[in-house]
Amino acid sequence: MKMVDGKPMEQAYQSALLSLLYQLADDDFILAYRGSEWLGLAPHIEEDVAFSSISQDTMGHAAMFYQLLSDLGEGDVDHLAHARSAKERKNAILLEMVNGPGHYLSKPRYDWAFAVVRNYFYVQAKKVRMESLKNSSYEPLANAALKVNMELYYHLLHWKTWFVQLMQAGDEARKKMEDAIKRVSADFDGVVSLGPLSKDIATFKLIESEDILKEKWKLFMQPVFDSVNLEMPDQFGIQSGDGRKGEHSKDLDDALIILSEVYQVDPAASW
Amino acid sequence: MSDVIFSNQLTEKEKYEHFLKRIKEGEKIEADDWMPDEYRFTLIKLISMHGISEIMGALPEKEWVPKAPSLKRKLGIMAKVQDEMGHGQLLLRVAEDLMKPLGKTREDILEDLFSGRLKFHNVFHMEAPTWGDAGLIGWLVDGAAIISQTNMLNASYGPYARALKRICAEEVFHAQHGEAIIMALAEGTKEQREMVQEAVNRWWEALLMFFGPADASTTGTSKQDITIKYRIRTKTNEELRQDFFSKYIPRVLSLGLTLPDETLHFDKEQALWVYKQPDWNRFKEIIKNNGPKSKDRLELRKMAYIENQWVREALNMAK
Amino acid sequence: MGSEGFYQEFEVFSKRSDTSPLQYQFSLLAPNSEIALIMAQENFMRREPVADIWVVKRSDIRKMNMEEKQTLQRLDNKEYRNTKGYGYLKKKWRQYEQGMLDEKEILSWGEEKKSENG
Repeated sequence: MKMVDGKPMEQAYQSALLSLLYQLADDDFILAYRGSEWLGLAPHIEEDVAFSSISQDTMGHAAMFYQLLSDLGEGDVDHLAHARSAKERKNAILLEMVNGPGHYLSKPRYDWAFAVVRNYFYVQAKKVRMESLKNSSYEPLANAALKVNMELYYHLLHWKTWFVQLMQAGDEARKKMEDAIKRVSADFDGVVSLGPLSKDIATFKLIESEDILKEKWKLFMQPVFDSVNLEMPDQFGIQSGDGRKGEHSKDLDDALIILSEVYQVDPAASW
Repeated sequence: MSDVIFSNQLTEKEKYEHFLKRIKEGEKIEADDWMPDEYRFTLIKLISMHGISEIMGALPEKEWVPKAPSLKRKLGIMAKVQDEMGHGQLLLRVAEDLMKPLGKTREDILEDLFSGRLKFHNVFHMEAPTWGDAGLIGWLVDGAAIISQTNMLNASYGPYARALKRICAEEVFHAQHGEAIIMALAEGTKEQREMVQEAVNRWWEALLMFFGPADASTTGTSKQDITIKYRIRTKTNEELRQDFFSKYIPRVLSLGLTLPDETLHFDKEQALWVYKQPDWNRFKEIIKNNGPKSKDRLELRKMAYIENQWVREALNMAK
Repeated sequence: MGSEGFYQEFEVFSKRSDTSPLQYQFSLLAPNSEIALIMAQENFMRREPVADIWVVKRSDIRKMNMEEKQTLQRLDNKEYRNTKGYGYLKKKWRQYEQGMLDEKEILSWGEEKKSENG
């Protein structure tokens, strides 16, 4: 039995904690996977190198969250990352969406505007979460958040720089960026959401409530939107479904086949 | 330090002699220094080919980045392929500075790649169909690259030598990354061991080709004499290949793997490895972009280049 | 930013720690200094600590050409600029039963003070 504040962990508390940890781990894992598909295909070589560091950091964060799950008896980290089916995954659908039409090895028509907007919006949301998690009632999570947070300053600066510059870089770029913002906004509530157990998650002080986190996100983003003369969307959507409930798209199914291809050859083997 | 010279007061011949003297004394030539055209063009060809090979070399391994079988391996191979791109960055910067007086830029390097004027290393035209290949590339292809790159660490051209110093330091990580993958497979299940053995069989000929022909009589051209004359490198292709054999054959065999050449052995009298020559006609075809994956990989690189054109244009014109 | 092309040359310098001197790293291509700055650490310092980074547009650097490098040479006759030219003082002070305040001695004063305070 795991302990919290010297007392055995209640069932409801544990369920809320697991639900939150799966969201954090799966979000970072799948976005890092999408980032790894970009490797070698970025707008210039220097960016390829920089972007890959961010994907590595992000997958490193996923590994830390999977480790917390593993410590709670959820199984081996590689099993958690590679062997769970789509419906067991709790990542937001926005983060599993393909980088663009095509395959990462064949005719990838990847969309840099979508990459910039998705990553920027997500990293700011992740930063807000990590700041809040520093005060989490679950101490191992608070400690992990403190570490993860350190690397987000760079991620945020990186994506914000691309965002601001492309928003101001002439008509064609502006249009591509606004299209990407529309796409990302249409599913961004899926990222902000804390899932079916969101009330418990907040009540148990694992993290602040969804509403508070969302307001904080807007507070940070407002000056950036203002600086590029863009209206902050009133509402976000969750158009493609709620990943927190295990609803997912074909994009995730396809990704899972690729990312577990070698692992599944022999899950018991040492690789 | 060399004699006082003011290059604008010297004849071309005097400049050339002074240049050779500097090289002979172990001085490093820098980007803005006077250099003979032959030196500049040799360096441009060598370094742009080296740089673009790093960029193209990221592609066979790229396939295995999302597929790597554990979180640790996913992170390791991401970092490794990232380094390849990083090495490409360093080398292309060196080549670009050499090309600058000719009015050429990175755009031209990529255009030359797409048109086939700029070649890339034979190994990166090959298929990498299994995870075993991903390990083998790190272990033996990078091993071969370490042998050929350390041979140029003291190159007379300073910027190249400095880039290689950075690169070789990272190659040590690559080699160990490759060894770790291979070791796990070699000590693993029957299926895993077969995976490595098949990869070794698949890559052996390409590894022999990696160092290039022993002399021009094999393929018609060889730049090794010029690069040795200008102290860009010290050893010949064959010497490097022999070094590779000495370092790696015992290691391959120690893991219980075999090499697909029944004639291969060390001749004590000659103190040389005796081996079956690869098909050098096939080599010529491969580097002419007629290898098994040449077209696909060029297509992939070109696609990425075209798809992101708007980003470069947008920021080119911004404000 | 300017309309000079996406591939502008930037030179990257960094400090390993607060107390280290600025060190040259390498050059990179970026459309402007903001992008250059977010490329710098990951391109050249992926495996080492970094305390600060400067990016400088190469065209803003006044470099020396080969002829100008000749101006850097000088004769080895400037003992008067160094303690080497005043070494005889050691013997003199000994006559007055005083030690020599040499470089080692003087530079150690700062350290002593530090350790007294801390």
